[in-house]
Amino acid sequence: MAILPQLLINSLITGSLYALAAAGFALGFRVLGVLNFAHGHLMMVGAYAMLAAIAIPGLAPILQIALVIATMIVVTWILLDIVVLPLARYSPLLPFVSTLALAMALEATVAMSFGVNVRSLNISWWPGHSNTGGSQSIELLGGDFMAYITQTQIIIIFSALAILVGVALILGSTSIGRAVRALASAPLAAQSLGLARNKIIWGVVLVGNLITAYAGILVGLETNLQPTMGQAFMIKAFAAIILGGMGSVWGAVLGSYLLGFIENFAIGIDIGEYSLPAGYKDAFAYSVILIMLLVRPQGLLGRKMRSE
Amino acid sequence: MPYFIHIATVLCIYAILAQSLNVILGLGRALNLAHVASFALGAYSMALWASPTNSGIVIPMLISIGVCGTFSLILGWISLRLTSDYFAIGTLAFAALISALLINWRSFTNGVLGIPGIPRPTIFGYDTNNEVFFLILCAAVSLIIQILIWLVFRSGFARQLRAVGERPTSAAAMGIDRRAVLSAAFALSSCAAGIAGVLFAMLLSYIDPSSFMLAEMIVLFTMVVVGRPGSFWGCLGAVLVVVLIPEALRFLKVPYCLDPLPSCFEPIASSVLGQVRQLLNALMLFAVVWLGRRQLFPKERIC
Repeated sequence: MAILPQLLINSLITGSLYALAAAGFALGFRVLGVLNFAHGHLMMVGAYAMLAAIAIPGLAPILQIALVIATMIVVTWILLDIVVLPLARYSPLLPFVSTLALAMALEATVAMSFGVNVRSLNISWWPGHSNTGGSQSIELLGGDFMAYITQTQIIIIFSALAILVGVALILGSTSIGRAVRALASAPLAAQSLGLARNKIIWGVVLVGNLITAYAGILVGLETNLQPTMGQAFMIKAFAAIILGGMGSVWGAVLGSYLLGFIENFAIGIDIGEYSLPAGYKDAFAYSVILIMLLVRPQGLLGRKMRSE
Repeated sequence: MPYFIHIATVLCIYAILAQSLNVILGLGRALNLAHVASFALGAYSMALWASPTNSGIVIPMLISIGVCGTFSLILGWISLRLTSDYFAIGTLAFAALISALLINWRSFTNGVLGIPGIPRPTIFGYDTNNEVFFLILCAAVSLIIQILIWLVFRSGFARQLRAVGERPTSAAAMGIDRRAVLSAAFALSSCAAGIAGVLFAMLLSYIDPSSFMLAEMIVLFTMVVVGRPGSFWGCLGAVLVVVLIPEALRFLKVPYCLDPLPSCFEPIASSVLGQVRQLLNALMLFAVVWLGRRQLFPKERIC
């Protein structure tokens, strides 16, 4: 099994990207109680905002980042104040349909402005950036257990870890986190005790969307960008969340890493003629959703399913 | 003229698709995102089993009804254990799984390259390679299915379905089996979508997975929601609106680029027509949902 270290590293990278996407999604779901079908598309918008920002000549890196953040603030405003909050109180079906519409509108807008073709994201100030496009790979281990990792991939793994731990610390042990948890578990009681529901929702969803945009940029650096990538990542985030358990941010993170491992090992392990071609990677996420819904709908860490 | 015949044929096919989704989404209030997968299965069963044998139209339709019926039973068996959020995700996973299979199972479906050369049948001596005869065929099939669905809409079954969708608690108290009723509705709408798929494959004589993506699902959603979910005639009217408005764009001079250069004030180039249509559909869907937020999906009240 000389391929094992490389498979482990690849699983960690994939898992980190999924975890960032799914954490943003789970944060929004906890406070809103609404499934956001446009979540993957927010990731795509964040990455394309970066693509647009680096195309502006002479813009300082900090301003490029500011531009991405500004874009995400606008998108969050559209998502919350137009698409979700005014509709959610009438029927749970309405935000479903309206976030689907938002997703399609975002995809069409990006495709019209940037084209439908694959684009690569080359950020000149990114650590480890080289003029040839990719970043240099570093050899890990030696001999039979050769494994490669690029600087971008190291950044992916560790920044994901840092962000997730940060979110966990804020949620778990600050007064802001306590307010968020109160609102998520008992919205009416929390509001009657004077918590400003809309402000908290805004804050949490914005943070979630910024993490998501960061994940989108990382995906752009690691692979490439396409307007249709949103849909694939939306389903991956769903799969991760269903694997881990709805409504629990930790479950989502655990589910993401598990999904990364499942995908990479299912494709990577060589079993002769029964090996699966790489194209089936995505099919695993979908099968995971179906199997989990069938066997354990509340997810690995989830509590009992809420009934309607 | 061939253009208008083509549009009329497309209208007939969309009428079947939207009306069959209307049974599930409109009456049953079940957010079935796998409807387009039934459409795909119908089209692919036509392309894979029926076209090599060139076996007319009845056999392909029976095959696709068989395939879609089986699919709907599996779909119903898994997804109907779930409610609202989970149900939608389950059906979405199904749809994505089917489209992943269509793309990746190259030896069977020819992947993204698609399947060319799907023949059209000769019926009662009329060769439907003639567009007019093909339109008549589609209109006839569509009419039969519309009449069947209209009969369903007037039946006690539709009342049970409405009860399950709008007043689940009361329906359960009346002894209506949610899963049985919705499974039957699934089977009905899935088979109708499969027949639409057969006609679609014959219309284009070439199919590939890109015709059966989530974006297509949004178009169908728009049709059902614009026509008011659960309204038979509303749905047919909405099919007209949703198909014809983007078609009108071909002839209008409108600014369609984000930067208003003079070159953009031209009939929309076919390269961005798809995206313009998608954006328009999304905006239309959102506008209808926003304006009808009080009436579209009323909450269950027990009083």
